[in-house]
Amino acid sequence: MGGRDALVEYVGRIPAPVRTKLLAAFLLIELLLVALGATGLLALREVEQRGGDLAGLQHKIDAYRQMQHDTLRQLYSVSAALAAPDNATLSGALRQINQFGYDLDRVAFVAKDEIALLGRLREEYSRFIAIATRVLELNRAGQTSEARQVQTAELAPLADRLERLTNQLVNRAEADMVNGVDASRATYETSRIYVVAFALGGFLLTLALGYAISWSIVTPVQEIDERLNRIAAGDFSQNVVVANRDELGALAEHVNSTCERLQELYQSLQDASRHKSQFLANMSHELRTPLNAILGFGELMLDGVYGPVPERMRAPLERMQSNGKHLLGLINDILDLSKIEAGQLSLSLGEYSVDELVRGVYGAVESLAAEKKLAISTRVPPGLPPARGDERRLAQALLNLVGNAIKFTDRGEIAIEVETNEDSYTFSVRDTGPGIAEADQAKIFEEFRQVDGSITKTKMGSGLGLAIAKRIVEMHGGRIWVDSSPGAGATFSFTAPARIN
Amino acid sequence: MKTNKTILVVEDQEDNRQILRDLLGSAGFRMIEAHDGEQALVVARSQRPDLILMDIQLPLVDGYEATRSIKRDPELRHIPVIAVTSYALSGDEQKAREAGCDAYVAKPYSTRHLLAKIGQYLEQPL
Repeated sequence: MGGRDALVEYVGRIPAPVRTKLLAAFLLIELLLVALGATGLLALREVEQRGGDLAGLQHKIDAYRQMQHDTLRQLYSVSAALAAPDNATLSGALRQINQFGYDLDRVAFVAKDEIALLGRLREEYSRFIAIATRVLELNRAGQTSEARQVQTAELAPLADRLERLTNQLVNRAEADMVNGVDASRATYETSRIYVVAFALGGFLLTLALGYAISWSIVTPVQEIDERLNRIAAGDFSQNVVVANRDELGALAEHVNSTCERLQELYQSLQDASRHKSQFLANMSHELRTPLNAILGFGELMLDGVYGPVPERMRAPLERMQSNGKHLLGLINDILDLSKIEAGQLSLSLGEYSVDELVRGVYGAVESLAAEKKLAISTRVPPGLPPARGDERRLAQALLNLVGNAIKFTDRGEIAIEVETNEDSYTFSVRDTGPGIAEADQAKIFEEFRQVDGSITKTKMGSGLGLAIAKRIVEMHGGRIWVDSSPGAGATFSFTAPARIN
Repeated sequence: MKTNKTILVVEDQEDNRQILRDLLGSAGFRMIEAHDGEQALVVARSQRPDLILMDIQLPLVDGYEATRSIKRDPELRHIPVIAVTSYALSGDEQKAREAGCDAYVAKPYSTRHLLAKIGQYLEQPL
């Protein structure tokens, strides 16, 4: 695996476009196929050549056998003629022997390897003809005993030698034949090995090339894909490492530089957002100081600390106070949200009673509901064990929901209910107000979003109440949602774990 | 009205001091003032107030630190300290209690509520 990965990496590192690499790979495979074909053709040619050689050898053997046969016949006919010498027979034998000389000439065409042997044969043959002719002439001259003497002393050994020489020729040709067959078989074996080796090598090389090229393309694509997924998830930390020096390497570089740019942008956006939140937090704090003084003096005036308040002044003074308190509420909402956004709000955990929390909220809104002639009820299961969380913040969340319900409901009732679940509580606030269209239900939990500008203008509010409630609930690990349809009121609910540690 | 009880108001904002002057004066208390945490200690030692209203956000030495010093001083530790913070954020009350404050009032306080709180600590015999 390591070696193959090294190959993949090597292919990746080749500084050439992917197209060129693919082309090169296909060309290489093509070359292999051509080489395989050429090797096969060469092997075929060699085998064919060996076959031709063997056919030649077969001809030679045939010719030598013929010659051996002829030689024996002539030697026989000569010795027969000499045994019963009459001129006609002897002349016939001699003619035949001369005829055999032509056979030898013919054989010379095929006998390339046996020239020396054939030469000796021809030489011996000439001597044989010469001696046979002499024997013939002696016989004609009537010197029969002399002729017989020459015949036994010279002609017979020559005949033996001739016979041996022809035998030798046949034997050698046959041995050549055997060698030729062996060589042909060996050639076939070698060719087969060549062809099989080429085929196998080609197959393996094609496989390796395919593997290397495909993985050198697929691996970077996978890595880049994974990187992009991480970027999409908001993780800019790691660079994608691609060894390729081709289009994919360039792509990875671009992904990396884009990621860095994105990270810078993301960072600066975050910084800007934090600065904004910090600024809002500081600003709202600065706004509150003089407002507190205004409210404080107003309250003292209304309480008659500076003397009795003339009846005509009381109503305007009260208006000033209530508007001042409203302004303070708006500023507090902004301060809350900016503190949460700037990460400056931490939960202050402690034991609390759910029942008391609900009663506290009820007490805070009772007079508001009464002003609008709305019935308000609470229902909390009796005997709940103490819960643990940030009581003040949870009360704030519930108060925001109840405050909204009162604000948007003109007649009917508001019900505050608590349900116990396995290890959490569900607080819900049901109203008989106008309800909220489904399309708006998700939006209302976002900061600075209000369903209908015209309504909220008359209702007065920062539009931050639900956003703050949502943050508080989520900081507790709970969930907030609304069930509503237009005209059928709305039920806002949130869950809070019974005990947070 | 109850009288001859002295309350030390530690507050850096003149307007707020004025409100408390008017409020506490009308309620019959004697009010002495300090503008920061350091001064608070000096005034507390020299004048021995019956109660201290301690603003938390103060220049130099903040209200938590000043309260800790007061509560470390065996001569002063019996004096009830009511912490007054600006719009309360989570944790402020806890921090105030940890610093040794006896009670805690968040701005904006209603003057009536503040008087009731003060009354709680001054009705009891010291």
